This record gives sequence, structure tokens and C-alpha cells, in this order.
Amino acid sequence: MSNSTHNALSTKIGRRSFMKMAAIAGAFGATSAFASSNVTRAATEEEVKNPFPGSKKVRTICTACSVGCGITAEVQNGVWVRQEVAQDHPVSKGGHCCKGADMIDMVRSEVRLKYPMVKEGGKWKRISWDTALERISKKLSDIREKDGPDATIFLGSAKMSTEQAYYFRKFAAMYGTNNIDHQARI
Amino acid sequence: MANTWGYGAMTNSLGDIQNAKAIIIFGANPAVNHPVGFSHFLKAKERNNAQLIVVDPRYTKTAAKADIFAQIRPGTDIPFMYGMLHIIFKNGWEDKKFINDRVYGIEDVRKEAKKWTPQKVADVTGVSVEKLMQITRVYAKSTPGTLIWAMGLTQHTIGSSNTRMAPILQLCLGNMGVEGGGCNILRGHDNVQGATDMCCLSHTLPGYYGLSEGSWKYFAKSWGVDFKWLQGRFKSPKMMSTKGFTLAKWYSGVLAGRPGEDKIHNAGTNLKALFVMGNGITSIAQQAKVKEALDNLELIVLADPFVNEAAILTDKKDDVFILPAATQFETSGSVTATNRSAQWRYQVVEPLYESKPDQEIMFELAKKLGFYDELTKGMLIRENKKSFKWPEDATDEIARIIKTIGLTGWTSKRIKKHTDNWHMFDEVSLRGFGPMKGEYYGLPWPCWTETHSGSPILYNIHRPVKEGGMGFRNRFGLVHDGVDLLAGKNSAPVGSKVKGGYPEITAKNIEKVLGIKLTADEKRRIGKNWKVDTSGIIAQKCMEAGIAPYGNAKARAKVWTFPDQIPMHREPLHSPRPDLVKKYPTYKDKPNHYRVDTKFMSKQSEKDWSKEFPINLVTGRLVNMNGAGMENRASKYLAALSPEMFCDIHPGLAANYGIRNGDMMWIYSPEGTKIKVKARYSYSVSEDRVFLPFHFAGHFQGEDLSGRYPEGTKPYAVGESANTVTNYGYDIITQIPETKGGLCRIEKA
Amino acid sequence: MSVNEMARMKFYCDDDRCIDCNGCSVACAEAHELPTGITRRKVITLNEGIEGKEVSTSVACMHCTDAPCEQVCPVDCFYIREDGIVLHDKKTCIGCGYCLYACPFGAPQFPRDGAFGTKGAMDKCTMCAGGPEETNSIEERELYGQNRIAEGKVPMCAAMCSTKALLVGDAQEVSKIYRARIAAKGKGVQSAPYGWSKAYGA
Repeated sequence: MSNSTHNALSTKIGRRSFMKMAAIAGAFGATSAFASSNVTRAATEEEVKNPFPGSKKVRTICTACSVGCGITAEVQNGVWVRQEVAQDHPVSKGGHCCKGADMIDMVRSEVRLKYPMVKEGGKWKRISWDTALERISKKLSDIREKDGPDATIFLGSAKMSTEQAYYFRKFAAMYGTNNIDHQARI
Repeated sequence: MANTWGYGAMTNSLGDIQNAKAIIIFGANPAVNHPVGFSHFLKAKERNNAQLIVVDPRYTKTAAKADIFAQIRPGTDIPFMYGMLHIIFKNGWEDKKFINDRVYGIEDVRKEAKKWTPQKVADVTGVSVEKLMQITRVYAKSTPGTLIWAMGLTQHTIGSSNTRMAPILQLCLGNMGVEGGGCNILRGHDNVQGATDMCCLSHTLPGYYGLSEGSWKYFAKSWGVDFKWLQGRFKSPKMMSTKGFTLAKWYSGVLAGRPGEDKIHNAGTNLKALFVMGNGITSIAQQAKVKEALDNLELIVLADPFVNEAAILTDKKDDVFILPAATQFETSGSVTATNRSAQWRYQVVEPLYESKPDQEIMFELAKKLGFYDELTKGMLIRENKKSFKWPEDATDEIARIIKTIGLTGWTSKRIKKHTDNWHMFDEVSLRGFGPMKGEYYGLPWPCWTETHSGSPILYNIHRPVKEGGMGFRNRFGLVHDGVDLLAGKNSAPVGSKVKGGYPEITAKNIEKVLGIKLTADEKRRIGKNWKVDTSGIIAQKCMEAGIAPYGNAKARAKVWTFPDQIPMHREPLHSPRPDLVKKYPTYKDKPNHYRVDTKFMSKQSEKDWSKEFPINLVTGRLVNMNGAGMENRASKYLAALSPEMFCDIHPGLAANYGIRNGDMMWIYSPEGTKIKVKARYSYSVSEDRVFLPFHFAGHFQGEDLSGRYPEGTKPYAVGESANTVTNYGYDIITQIPETKGGLCRIEKA
Repeated sequence: MSVNEMARMKFYCDDDRCIDCNGCSVACAEAHELPTGITRRKVITLNEGIEGKEVSTSVACMHCTDAPCEQVCPVDCFYIREDGIVLHDKKTCIGCGYCLYACPFGAPQFPRDGAFGTKGAMDKCTMCAGGPEETNSIEERELYGQNRIAEGKVPMCAAMCSTKALLVGDAQEVSKIYRARIAAKGKGVQSAPYGWSKAYGA
């Protein structure tokens, strides 16, 4: 038990009125005589503002559905440390369903793919990007050569950004086929 | 929908729903699929006493908040809406002036509606006469009313008729182009609208430009590449203008030639390679066929942040590549929300592990395939640059080229400014305050010029064009059957120089329609018509004259190029009502439908499916997941909310099969496939149907395939894919699969 | 206004608005990085699928005025802040489970192990106010999760509620918001829902 807690608990204030004053600064605007006592210390200004000092807030958009809820991502030293509330977004007003509330897990989920892989003889094998792209493009070229561009189909995504989707369409066009589609078809 | 009035998109916005006096929802469950969007529905109820009407095969979470709920038999929305129109016309509740000035072809609808008496509708839909009358009265009398739909309307063989029927209902009530009205189609994924606008689709080019040689020439020029070179990339000029396979039926491209498989027309070859980027193809109907197709490909490439479960489903042993794509938070770009508003999705962190953003993967491959310079040149043209900056230069390239849906105003600078200042916009009207005054949040398209406000409500003639007003688009010619297709007198947007209808604006007619004179220089620079005018002259002159560049025409209730000119009811291919199949049979089989000979009549009439498969099968979403659920099942908190696949079944139905709550059960489909899932008692389904969520994968026909995940990538929840048992059946126009109205047989496992 | 007059922090879930989207419970779990076995906040739906009778509501510790948990705790690990937030000291808690018996809302959670309750100490909603450890210290975060109240922020569940069904704040403010909603409907104030008097006092 930390010292301050121990002290706090052993003081003779009725336990029901005991409180940790540091907590009610800020939005709730409360101050109290207890705040200056040495029972607990007040939160420092930096803490009150932000427990992740030096972090920046990035405005971004939820990737779950087409409502387009705002997300405020708190980033410290290049790490997304906390998903904050975008209370001032005109459509979502900070609201999220469970998917949106957990957007940070899209990035930090432990089961993400970490490196390129190929299945060989029924077993997964780690390969480098270079090898992967080399082998894929070789195969795509060969198939294009042998069976024509229409032997390939490209399936894009409604989870891409507009720019990526546009470039994916262009990519298929320059490969030479209209065999391209995405989830709007379901 | 685009075939009715010009654009196939949500007409109003989520916030605007708060202005509605009545809300009717067909085949959508926003409380589960768009919870934050649904908050605006709830506010409409509170603020406006809006009546919420839900028409759905299930008593959904949305229905739980409804004032009136009608439990409809899957696939009978058209009779239901004709039933409403029958009552509306009979009582003279339609908006006669609106119809007269702004709608073409309603007489045919009137005739068809006359046939759908409430009694007949009750028989077909399963909704009582009293309820139909009650709903119609409430909805017709409480204007403005907004009509909402989602996949529950589109995923049928008659989906494209459904999506014309709903607009017709709204047109008859004069609910279009007004605050609190509109046809508000709720899109699924975060950027379905954007990706669709960019036409990651097999039948169009970005911006819904067709595949004609003229379109390709426009794009070749805009991309800075030689048209002949581009044409040479295709097998033949003919294939360049031929629609490709779709996501729904690409598997036929692999399997064609085998006994019982549909024939294909694909330049003499089957599909050999599949390249997937961010698409959970385990959420496509006919999973067993998809698996067989995967097994028989030469190359499978799957780029995703998580394992694409196609890799787990297939028995293929070699040449299956999985590439770690970065998430959307590890790159940046614009996304288009369901209401056509753009937002800038800023990059949060650098790509983790070895993952790469999608565009980098594309660019690297293009380098190796030898067309990188051609691919990226479009980004250099606007400012004549040496190198490009992703994604800003791509955004600006799109703004430069895509005129059809008015993306000229969507420069990266403006979109970012909106996101940076999202706190300066009103929730209901989307109007900006302070420095953002005069613009609507996200500049909902069409955003005609770089100073245009955006158009939050489509077809609204109560605002000037430069503030987002417009009539219906002139897309289908000027005259049909001797009737003028342009809008009637006094139905032009406020402040328009022309008081009635006018055609779409071209270089040829601009001087006459707008009553202006172009200078010699303008005449030299102007493009042929508004869709290809990259000079901006047409848009600019139109704004000055209060004219919408795409014209001002009538919406059409009648689409003369479709097999059903007005929407007609046709029973699903697998219907529980053989008597109605005789009365309302489906279409003839359709040859070469996106390169595949697709079965309609031959499937429906093969036998009386309902004898062997007596139960209706409905699929849908869970609140904690979307799509194939790949991303969500990779989150432990979301997976914990529904850790296993289940089937919602009415206790009354379950009892007939000896299935107890929590028992495992088999579901068999007419396709000869089956899945094993856990029964969950629920009163949300009636005793003639069961419900399956479609987000699971990793099991296949009773077999657990989860040992196939590469080490450390198995999601926290796996299960049977509902789409293993969804039935054969595809929309006649779009080829969207009929997952919302099939049959099945159940058994205790 | 003095502290005593103002602070009586309460949750209230408007069941006309709650749609069982689980935004609150996942926002909570994610914000405090709870182990999956711990559910500080849960959405309950009654009469699911029965027309006209289905109702959903979000439940967590209601921070009762006369907190029963605090009254039955044999080791006095509970303490109630001046603003009404009911907290406890995990280092004192012995994991006996009396509080769970006493709680009318099923709020106390008992993990097997892990960051939020080594040796089986009870875990529950803190209204995002941390615990007795030093404010915003790593120890506090590890034992109790974020201390958003100290940062002047609204608790995560209510802030992220998709339909703003879940309200939190000074009881008077909460009831003011709710009354305004009811007034907007023009139907007058509804009768108090289940648990009201226990959670909000008279």
C-alpha cells in the first residue's frame, strides 16, 4: 500500500466522507478545504491536462461503418496510447458503438499479421516483402501472358480510402481487365 | 435508384432525419448496424414526435424502438409498398403537384397499385390489413417522412426493383428534396460510398463513367496515358468495354466448364488468379462454391491487416500469399460517409510490424509489372510536378477528373479543413459556423466548384444551386413516348435563371440555356459537356445562373430499359409459397450477366423447394461485428460479446425438432451444403424462419479449420459462415446475391 | 456553490434511448484495458424479441447514496468520495464477495487473476475516478484504470454512448437532462424506473 493511501485511511475522517480530492478538479469545478491538506496531493496541472505528457491528439475517422464517427487518437512517441472522445464531431458527438469504441484494437490487436507469408506444400512460411512481390508479380505476368489479362480478378474494398479505391480501379485497368469489384456488390 | 432520378446515394443526411415527422424503415436495422446514426432517429422521436415505422422479417433492436412494427415475409417489400400506394391513391393522399411537375410514368404505377388490395397484400406479405392501413395512414399523413433502407432491400433477385419502388413511394408523397424527407439508404462499410464512387466495380469507371470507348478516352487523357497503349493492355477493344465478373459470382469464372456450373464469357479463359485487398470474401453467398473456386486457382494473393479467411477456407497447398496490409489508421486519405460527406482520415501511427499501406503494395507491384509511371502520372498533371505526395495529389487528381458526381470541390485542402474544423458545424443541417460559414460539413457531393457549399439534400429546389439546390438529373433523354422528360413549370431551384426544366449542359447548348455569350477563349477551352469539362467553365457559368450542370428533369417511375419497366413483385427463387411462385414467377434465365449465364427461372422451377426446405432463412449483422468479421473477431472485447456462431430460432419451431436452447443444430440448404451452429432461442424471429449472423468463418460444414491459421493470427472467435447455406439467387440488374430470402431445413445435431 | 451542494455523481440510463449496442461496455473495457473476464459495465436486454416489451439498459456500479456494499464490507475497503463516487481499495479487499450479495445491480466483479485484481480482489466501475493510489500514477492505472475525473473528463462509457442514453454527472444535472428530454416529447415526466430510489436517493 502506498504511503499516501495508508495515511489517508488512518486519518479519522469518517470513511464515508473520505475522498481523494485530486480527482474532482477540472470539468466538475469543485474545490475544497481538503484539497490543500497533505492527505492526498492534488493532481499537477500537466496531469490534469494529460496523463500522457507530450502526447498529441489526432483527428481521424472510425473504420467500422458509413456513419463516419469522429475519433480522437492520443499519440505519444509514435504510439497510439489512448482513444479519446471526439465530443465535438457534428455527426457522432463523441458517440460510438462497441466497434467504434474499440478502434484502437484495430492497430494493437495481438493477432495482426506481422510479415508476409506464403503457403508452400500446405505449410505457412515467412518470406520477405521483396520475395513476396517478386513471386506475385512473376505469377501475375505469366498468367497475363499465357491466359490473358482476364484470367485475373481484383477484389478491392469498401474499407479503402477513396484514393486507394480509385487507384485500385486504375491498377486493374492498366493490368488490362474489368474483372474488378468490391463489397458494394453484396 | 440512380435509374429513377440520377444518383444512387443517400439523398439527405443522418442529422436531417431529426427533421422528419415519420420514419419508415425497410430491411435495415440501424440500431445494430449504425448505432450512432440511429441516435438521430431517436432524437427525431423525441424532438418531433416522429412516428417510427419498422417493416422487417425480424423484431430487431430497431423494431424495439418503433411505434409500429410489421413483420413481413422476406422478399415481399414490393407488394407491401404497392399496398401502401393502393390506399394512398384511393384516398387521394398523394402530392399531385409534385407528381405532375417532377415525376414521369406514375400512371403505370397507379394501375399496378390498383391490383394490390390490402387483402391481397396481407396474403403475400403476412402483414394484416389493419396494420397496413395503420402504417399507410400514419406515414402518408405525417410529412415530411423519410424512408430508410439497407441490404434488406437490395439482397434479392428483385433488389433493383425494390430500390426503385421505395423512391416511387417517396415521390408520390412529395417527400423528395425536402428537409426531413428523402430516401436514405444506409451504407455498410465506412467507405462503401467512396469506393463505389471511385467504382472499384466491374461495370463502370471512377465516377460512374461507363465502359464505352468515349469514357476510356476521357480517362486515358486525364491519366496522362496514350489511349492506344491502354487499349493494348486489354485482350481486345471489345473486352475493354465488357463488364467484368462481380464479387458475387467470380467463383463461376473459376469453376465454369465443370458439370452443373454456370457458363461464362471471359475472353476464352477461366479465372486463374485472385488478388484481394481488404475484402472478406468469406461473407459472400455460396461459400462452398467459393471454397471450390479458391482450391482451383493458380494464384491467391490476400492483402489485409488480419488473416483473410479465404486462406483458411481453401485446401490449396501452394501459391497462397498473405500480405500484411496496414490498417487505415496507419495511412491517410479521404473517406465518404453514407451521406456523401467527405472526411479526412488522418494517419495516427506509422505502419506496425512489416505492414504496408495498400497504395504502397499497388505501387510496388506496378513497378514490377512495368506500368508504375503510367499508374501514378495522373497525380503529377494538375501542378505539373516531378514527384507526387500521397494521398493529397491523388485526392486532387480525383477532383480534377470526376465531374459526374461533382467532385471538383473536393480538393485535399478543403476536405482537411472540414475535418480540422468539425466542431464548427451544426448537427442537423450540417451548416458551418464562423470561418466555415457557407459550407456544409464534408461538402456532400455534388460539390460543383472549388467554392461550392456542398449539397446536403439532393434534389432540393428550395435552395439555390450554389447553396446545394438542384432538381432531378436529366439523364434519360428529353422525351419518352412523346412525353417531355424535363421538369415542369416553377420547379427549378430557387434563384435559377430558367424557371422550369432544362437539359444537361453541354458546350453546344450552354449559351442558349443560360442566356449568355461565351468569349472566344472560353469557347476554345470549354469541354464537350459538363461531365468532361475539366476547364470548369460549364460549372462556373451554371453557378452564376443558378443552374445545375446536370439539368433539371423529371424523376422516372418507369425504367424502359429494365426487364420490369415499373417494379413488379416476383417471388424469390426459393420461396416458401409455391402457390405464389405460380402467380409471380421470377425472370427468365439471364445469359452473360457480368460474364456469367445466371439462372433464374430454371432454378425456381426446378422443383417445389419448399417441400424439402420449409423454413425461411434470413441473415444479418450483429452490433459488435461488420462484414466477414475478420477485424472484429481479432478484438478480444468484441469477440467476447458473441464468442460463437449461433442461430436465432423461435422456441415454438425449435420444439418441433427437439432442439433445446444451446443445443447444436444442423442447417441444410437447397445447394446441398450444411452448417452446424448453436441454437439460441429468440422471439425476434417468427416460427417460420430462422436468423443467422454472417460474420463468422473458420469452420466449414461442421469441420473446424482453425488449425490452419498461421501461428499467432487466429482470431478470438471462429465459427461457421452463414453464407455456406445461403441460397443461389442474384439480382437481375446488379447481380447482388439473394441472401435475404432463402430456404433451409433444420435438424438437431 | 459548495462541494456539498453540488457533488453527487450519478449514472442514469435512459431506456428510451438505449439500443444495446454495447458501446459503453466495450468503451469501458478498452479504456481501462480490462481482462475479458471482467465486465464493469454490462448492457441488459429484457424480453428480447417480444413486441412492445423489449427494453435495454446499461448497468454498472450505480454509486449508491447509501451504498450497501460499503455497509457489508468486513474489511472496510470501500470509501465514498465527497462527490458521491463509491470507490474501494483493492489492497485491502480480501475478495470475500459480500459486496456482490449486497449489491442490487450485480456490479462487483471477481477476476481470477491479472492486473485488475491480483489475489482475487474485487473490481468494479470507478466512474473513471481511479482509486486511492496517487492520482494518474502508473500504479493507479494498473489497478483501477484511467482516472478521467482527475483530468476533468466525462467517464468513458457515457462519453462514448452512441445514443447518449447513458448519462453521468451531478444527479441534479442528470435529472435536468432527462426532464428536458421528456418535456420535449410533451408527455410529462415519467414515473421513476427500477432502481431509481436506491441509486439516486429520495
